[in-house]
Amino acid sequence: MQYKLVSNHRNEIVCIVSSDGKSIPFDPANSDYQAYLAWVAEGNEPLPAETE
Amino acid sequence: MTKARDLSQIPNATLAFRNRIINGDCRIDQRNAGASVTITNTGANTYTLDRWFAYGSAASKFSVQQDAGAVTPPTGFTDYLGVTSLAATSVGSSDQYVIGHFIEGFNSADLAWGTANAATVTMSFWVRSSLTGTFGGVLRNSGFNRSYPFSYTINAANTWEQKSITIVGDTAGTWLTTNGVGIGIYFGLGVGSSLSGTAGSWSGSNFTSVTGATSVVGTNGATFYITGVQLEKGSTATSFDYRPYGTELALCQRYFYSLDRLAGQTTNFAVGTCYGNDWIYIASGNRHPVEMRAVPTVSTVSTFRVEDAYSTSWTVSQVTASTSTRNIFNPSIQLTTTAPAGRLVYLQATSDSSRLNFSSEL
Repeated sequence: MQYKLVSNHRNEIVCIVSSDGKSIPFDPANSDYQAYLAWVAEGNEPLPAETE
Repeated sequence: MTKARDLSQIPNATLAFRNRIINGDCRIDQRNAGASVTITNTGANTYTLDRWFAYGSAASKFSVQQDAGAVTPPTGFTDYLGVTSLAATSVGSSDQYVIGHFIEGFNSADLAWGTANAATVTMSFWVRSSLTGTFGGVLRNSGFNRSYPFSYTINAANTWEQKSITIVGDTAGTWLTTNGVGIGIYFGLGVGSSLSGTAGSWSGSNFTSVTGATSVVGTNGATFYITGVQLEKGSTATSFDYRPYGTELALCQRYFYSLDRLAGQTTNFAVGTCYGNDWIYIASGNRHPVEMRAVPTVSTVSTFRVEDAYSTSWTVSQVTASTSTRNIFNPSIQLTTTAPAGRLVYLQATSDSSRLNFSSEL
């Protein structure tokens, strides 16, 4: 699995997109976000957001 | 028997939400609408029928389908969850092939597990397999450090049998009473020795089945069907807690729902405004059908577009969760090209197979 940060028109980071196409919110109760945090804890880094 | 005496047969239980399992009768399959799903993701649970997940240590060893094999369900039921083994798989000591169900902590809090007042529960279900013998499963906490392995026997092949297991509540360990996993229920389909324990008592280990249980995935083409799954407070299995379809669907939608269009019709999912670049912000505040367990993950199936009042359309590259909440769907949408600033547009599916999925599963 790979993750990428997503920014909006204001260049604000709004969510994370996983390589299987899920848009994941920054909610600690969201199990996909928990999986992302576990992935980061393993030393991985998401791809940066594209800026406008 | 008088009504009063009849009700007395439901000890220590309430009449409302007697069954803590949602979609225990397997009627609801929002994700797949009865299509077969091969379990390929070895890194996480794969949700199949609503509220029911599957996991396999190796990919493509079994499939899950509502009403697989099209056998007649037990009397009183219209549907079941069907597992089909896709290979003769050798199960390693740390491998596991399971189906399961997570009860949210809010729905098991009154059981008071992890305290001296832990309540006894009874789980009942109908099961049918092409194999016979001893099968197993567990009840487990969210920390994977409290497990209760249980076993049951399937006596006759390809015959529905009802099973009932009474479990004394766990007075130890940590059991969540919030919107996390309250109780995890697992049915083993082939579980290795290091994840299998002795039936009938609580353990401080991480188990997902019973030592020596029959392996469904060990036989190519083997089947394992289950329905009428009920977990209730008390030491007696009562009749299945049938709930209205709309009620059961709403219970499921706290964890997952999907938006699609009416076949062949243009359906506007949301309205938003273009920023003059490739972004559109939807501020229409569409409400989820029910308050979701967590802010949902958003994903799309097939393709979407946005279209203005003059039928000019732009292709959507992604629909993001953005500022959505547990109550409201407020996504930001990115297009493949720039759209004019200030233009009011509608989010539309491009085909009947296009779907917007919202998941806050445990």
